[in-house]
Amino acid sequence: MAVAETHTPEIVSAETAQRRTAWWLTAPALALMILILLVPVVIAGILSFTDYSLGNDTFDWVGTKNYDRLFSRSTYEKMFIATFTYVITVVPLSVGLGLGAALLINSLGRIGDLYKTIYFLPVMATLLAMAIAWEFMLHPSIGMVNRTLEMSCGTFLEIIPFLKNGCADRFPLWLGDRDYAIWVICFIGVWQGFGFNMVLYLAGLTGVHRELYHAAEMDGAKSGWERFRLVTWPALGPTTVFVVTISCIRAFQVFDTIEAFWPQGGGPNKSTYVMMFAIFEKGVQQNLIGIGSAITVLFLVFVMFLTLIQRWLVERKVHY
Amino acid sequence: MTRDLWKHLILILGALIVIAPFYMMVSYSFKSPGEIDRGEGGFFGRQEMMVDERCVKLRDPNREDVAAAVPRFPNKTDSQIRDALVAEAVSDCQMRPIVFNYSKAFTEAPLLRYLLNGVIVTASIFLIQIVVALPAAYALAKLKFWGREAVFSLVLFCLLIPVHAIALPLYIMLAKIGLTNTYAALVVPWTISVFGIFLMRQFFITVPDDLIDAARMDGMGEFAIVWRVMLPTAIPALLAFAIFSVVAHWNDYFWPRIVVTGNRDLFTPPLGLREFKGDGDGSFFGPMMATATVIVTPLIVAFLVAQRRFIEGITLSGMK
Repeated sequence: MAVAETHTPEIVSAETAQRRTAWWLTAPALALMILILLVPVVIAGILSFTDYSLGNDTFDWVGTKNYDRLFSRSTYEKMFIATFTYVITVVPLSVGLGLGAALLINSLGRIGDLYKTIYFLPVMATLLAMAIAWEFMLHPSIGMVNRTLEMSCGTFLEIIPFLKNGCADRFPLWLGDRDYAIWVICFIGVWQGFGFNMVLYLAGLTGVHRELYHAAEMDGAKSGWERFRLVTWPALGPTTVFVVTISCIRAFQVFDTIEAFWPQGGGPNKSTYVMMFAIFEKGVQQNLIGIGSAITVLFLVFVMFLTLIQRWLVERKVHY
Repeated sequence: MTRDLWKHLILILGALIVIAPFYMMVSYSFKSPGEIDRGEGGFFGRQEMMVDERCVKLRDPNREDVAAAVPRFPNKTDSQIRDALVAEAVSDCQMRPIVFNYSKAFTEAPLLRYLLNGVIVTASIFLIQIVVALPAAYALAKLKFWGREAVFSLVLFCLLIPVHAIALPLYIMLAKIGLTNTYAALVVPWTISVFGIFLMRQFFITVPDDLIDAARMDGMGEFAIVWRVMLPTAIPALLAFAIFSVVAHWNDYFWPRIVVTGNRDLFTPPLGLREFKGDGDGSFFGPMMATATVIVTPLIVAFLVAQRRFIEGITLSGMK
């Protein structure tokens, strides 16, 4: 008993000291996490039920009116359509192209590195600058795209209906055309993002064991496709889950290209009025903070939902 | 070999599409407005002398100029002197398109200032992120204290929240305390990197406890251990994180667009380019592409020099 009494205070004080330092070390991070990440989420949640705007001292509670509007007005219907069109197009394409490029490059050995470097360039480049470059590329009269298409006029390529119509009449306006605008945005999204996915897949491919291919061959998987289906694809499961999630989250956040092309209003006939742009336009430019917050809340719900699915998949299923 | 050939064909086609906007951006930054309009001159343009119309207009001689020039042109009528002066101005305002484009890029807008702002903002963000995240990561990895699990769960939860998504409430908070249009506004939301904390914690867990115990034996306090023992062991991870952070914030357009309005002294490079686009009429394609090239180049060059590190850094978020 006496021994214990002489020892405990020292241990306790050492532990207390460590505990205190630990709290000192985490305090700044903890405070900032709460202040910069959690408080805004709560604020967005609260303000989405009000008609608050900056400059006013007071606000009224409006119940779910902001949310009702989101689900009834045609502007917001267009917003959802544009956002989901973008996400549903860009995610599979950028993941698929990333995987395809990774498989091709991986099978080529060292020469493939050159392609890897090139495909990764758009990931590094300032998207806004590249958006402006694309805008010139797509310029209806002096842009490189339509000039290249014009070169095909008068050749055998004219059997393609798209080129035939273009040569007979004119080629699309691209950014000014409401049928094309969202697809151009999607294209640029894929162009910018697939290199990132490719690199993740390349990293994933280094983890696939050679023996597995031999084993598959023993079992009669002769064709490349069989080997891919039986060995490569399952082995890349965890990578795919991660790649798809991060591509979704990035796709939801598309903004730079749209703001660069159409600073006002989100494209021809609002066909590219995505959520990030809506938050910016309603909340910041028009000071309609209630509705902006409601969009923010929905946005957070989508993103969190996606990440939770990812974590669930990682824990459950994809470890072969 | 023939099997590899079609792989190369596909990859080269992809590479051409990926490179096209970069090619066009750099090429236009070399060309004269006429060459851009007509789409001629190859990659470098012909680099024929061109006349800067604005410069000539600016030097348009008025009556006083003509009077002052009389001694230089004896025995000439006023209109002859005038013509001679205009001719002089024209010859002085002649330059190669490449010089014209790049000098305009730096003189029409304070591009150097923008670049400097970009450096200030990205550097401060990274430094503060490290100062906040490193001690927290160390405490979470190596110190035992009550509440550690709770703090770590909070970190995991905050990983779900993309800062861009909560831009609106953050903007409102900053506006309320009067911080919009300051450097602080550009930096503050990014000071906490939950991802950085998570990453560093995973890294620190692998550091042997003996190293820390030895440091304690030497009489080092916990703060000293963080900066003098843990920091040096974490250099590779820190470097990767630095690349991740710098690339993200140099290229970021959304957040600066929200909190900086009008005050050019605070513009980051993407904002500067955006404004340039807003002002420019059609004849300014060359200088604009020069600006874009200047903004994109630093990261691209750094990437080409240290490719492996960059790919490591950017794909960091894919690490388990």
